[in-house]
Amino acid sequence: MEYGVATAQRSEEIDRALAQAAGVAAVEAAARPPYDEMHAPDGSVRPHFAALARRLADLDPGELDERQRTLERFFLLQGITFTVYGAESTTERIIPTDLLPRIIPADEWAQIEAGLTQRLQALNLFLADIYGERMILKDGVVPRELVLGAPSYRREMQGLYVPHQAYANVCGSDLIRQEDGAYAVLEDNLRVPSGVSYMLANREASKRTFPGTFRLAGVRQIDRYPDLLLTTLRSMAEWRPNPQVVVLTPGVYNSAYFEHAYLARLMGVPLVEGRDLVVHDNMVYMRTTTGLRRIDVIYRRVDDDFIDPLTFRRDSSLGVPGLFNAYRAGTVVMCNAPGTGVADDKAVYAYVPEIIRYYLGEEPILPNIETFLCREPSQLSYVLANLDKLVVKAVGASGGYGMLIGPHASLAQREEFAQALKADPANYIAQPTIQLSTSPCLIDGQIDDRHVDLRPFILSGEKITVTPGALTRVALRKGSLVVNSSQGGGSKDTWVLAGPGDDLS
Amino acid sequence: MMLARVADSLYWIGRYVERAEHVARLADVMLTATLDRAETAAQVARIALSAVGDATPERIATPFESSRGLALDRLEGNSVVSSLALARENARQVRDQITSETWERLNLVHLRLAGAGAAKSFNDGSSAFLHDIIADLHLFKGAADATMSHGEGWRFLLLGAHLERAQLIGRLLEVCFGRGGERLDHPTLTAVLRMSCALEPYLRVYTADVRARPILEFLLLNAEFPRSIRFCTDEIEAHLSVLSRHTEAVHVGPGRLAGRLKARLQYADMAEIEREGSHVFLEGVLAECGDIHRGVYDAFVAYPLEMRLPA
Repeated sequence: MEYGVATAQRSEEIDRALAQAAGVAAVEAAARPPYDEMHAPDGSVRPHFAALARRLADLDPGELDERQRTLERFFLLQGITFTVYGAESTTERIIPTDLLPRIIPADEWAQIEAGLTQRLQALNLFLADIYGERMILKDGVVPRELVLGAPSYRREMQGLYVPHQAYANVCGSDLIRQEDGAYAVLEDNLRVPSGVSYMLANREASKRTFPGTFRLAGVRQIDRYPDLLLTTLRSMAEWRPNPQVVVLTPGVYNSAYFEHAYLARLMGVPLVEGRDLVVHDNMVYMRTTTGLRRIDVIYRRVDDDFIDPLTFRRDSSLGVPGLFNAYRAGTVVMCNAPGTGVADDKAVYAYVPEIIRYYLGEEPILPNIETFLCREPSQLSYVLANLDKLVVKAVGASGGYGMLIGPHASLAQREEFAQALKADPANYIAQPTIQLSTSPCLIDGQIDDRHVDLRPFILSGEKITVTPGALTRVALRKGSLVVNSSQGGGSKDTWVLAGPGDDLS
Repeated sequence: MMLARVADSLYWIGRYVERAEHVARLADVMLTATLDRAETAAQVARIALSAVGDATPERIATPFESSRGLALDRLEGNSVVSSLALARENARQVRDQITSETWERLNLVHLRLAGAGAAKSFNDGSSAFLHDIIADLHLFKGAADATMSHGEGWRFLLLGAHLERAQLIGRLLEVCFGRGGERLDHPTLTAVLRMSCALEPYLRVYTADVRARPILEFLLLNAEFPRSIRFCTDEIEAHLSVLSRHTEAVHVGPGRLAGRLKARLQYADMAEIEREGSHVFLEGVLAECGDIHRGVYDAFVAYPLEMRLPA
């Protein structure tokens, strides 16, 4: 039981901290106003927003509204839509997009970039370790059953060679800004993160809307993303001359289909579905008009469960029978590697700062949000006593489902959640309610503040690259803290400003 | 080299867009004919409705409703709105293979037809509405021609369009001049030329001498008019011979059929066709078009894997 000690120490520490903080910190947090991205507390415009503020002062709301409609038309025409399946008819909607960019100054970005690079480096090492020697489990830094018992842990991946130890080739981490303005990581997405097409499409739109301001501000370019993605994917099959890369999509009915087609088009590689692929003698081929053609790298946008009905879920028709065996045989590379989900598990998340210290011997540059693991009895009782102040999340869920926002929930909802917590504590974590920062948005023709988060995209292959831009997700309902698109969230462009040493590209 | 599924989708985009354009034109001609004598209007409606499948007496008697059905009824498989929804669905599946310019044209006309305002636009000015749809589809074809690489994908798109066109014109001619065809009066013959978008080009060749025999000859055998069956078979053969270049020699099917059909039309003689009966000739042409369609599938899309696996 060599791993029991650290856990015990950890929970003791937390207990001490809790005893001091309980009742004080949480109440205080709820009362503190959110960080305002554009205005300083004294009401003046922050310097990096100055150019935009001047432009906005010149435009009357009618003009802005018209630009907003032009933008929506552009999205509809381009087919940048997601499908809403209803009882009567099926309609397509655009993801609500806000005109006004969110702006990040160079020094803040430098910290984000360094922090995300460090984090993904550590998480890749962590994945290589838990599917290899398992040193971190033996040393008791992360509880063994937390990792090996997670549904997203894939035993099939054990002992498999992954080039450059790059398990999560594409990562989209969700950052938030706390009340004091400090960035923190809310969540890592290492499975099949989406949203990058909105980052690129929003940029096209905001360039059209604010061309002058865009030029003046000195915004760093993001349009090399497809190029960098292709380079990253190719670096995973260096032993093959001119490797054939494909994007694997579940198909046209998937809500992110637009993004799959968009990336394939911009990279100039085929967009394939499971039914286009054939495995023969552990080699993967695609069916073309002139016969079968071999494939080397699959950028898969299909979840682990559905990749290969012979290895994972048998009832899946999206995958390719035999694909995983070919992957094990090393004739084809899948990106991201199967089983990366265990590293973005909400319970493992709590240990990421430890993971960074363990592998890199460095302090985390970007902090975590304080997290209570309900699997620990002492932490569970604290969570149950403070349900009205905390956000409780199911470990396995994503997209804003299976979540309780304490301060906004009714007594009945909280009691229902308390029952669920007691029944299966290991399935839940809790975090203090953070007032996400606010940024100005155009709502019904008027400029008003809404809560936002930040999802930058990090590529890792031979090396790690952070694209200087991000998807800023917006909670369009006033006061709401939920930014997921499935829950009524929208998005906006994110301008990362160039510093003295930065090239615009 | 392209994905077999993608080639299939492009081929069907070509077919559906061609079908939508043809049906929109039939609906328009049918509406215009209501301004003529009642017998002519009924004859034109019968031809137009038979050419796309369903000519019941009730439908012939209500040309406005039938025309709206051909344009906007989602339950009708051949309606313009259905064909374009399918074309666009296919385009969405190969969104990475067609240029944004091409996609935008198709998406735009689909949104207009499937949108809430379509029925009102049709009622307010049906001829203008149908005219605009046809013009939009021409823009789509223009965008494809001007912005897509004229490679394999573009060829599958055009192969589908021309095969569909040959079959649509063939069916129209069969209805007019085939088995059991009645005698058509002058305004009806003019309407038939309009349905094939052939009135002006026809007049330039035959002057204002509008009779059944030269119309049949023009739509069947003219080498230059893009909607004649001969022109279509020339195109089909040309695209297939390029597309077949990279398939192995065992799969000569569709290319051979297309070459034979092309030669048949190229060396056909009107007097000979009439001696045999034009319906016999038309039925033969339509049957061969069907064979080419199946041949395309066997050679490029649904080929047996065993034959293509590496040794």
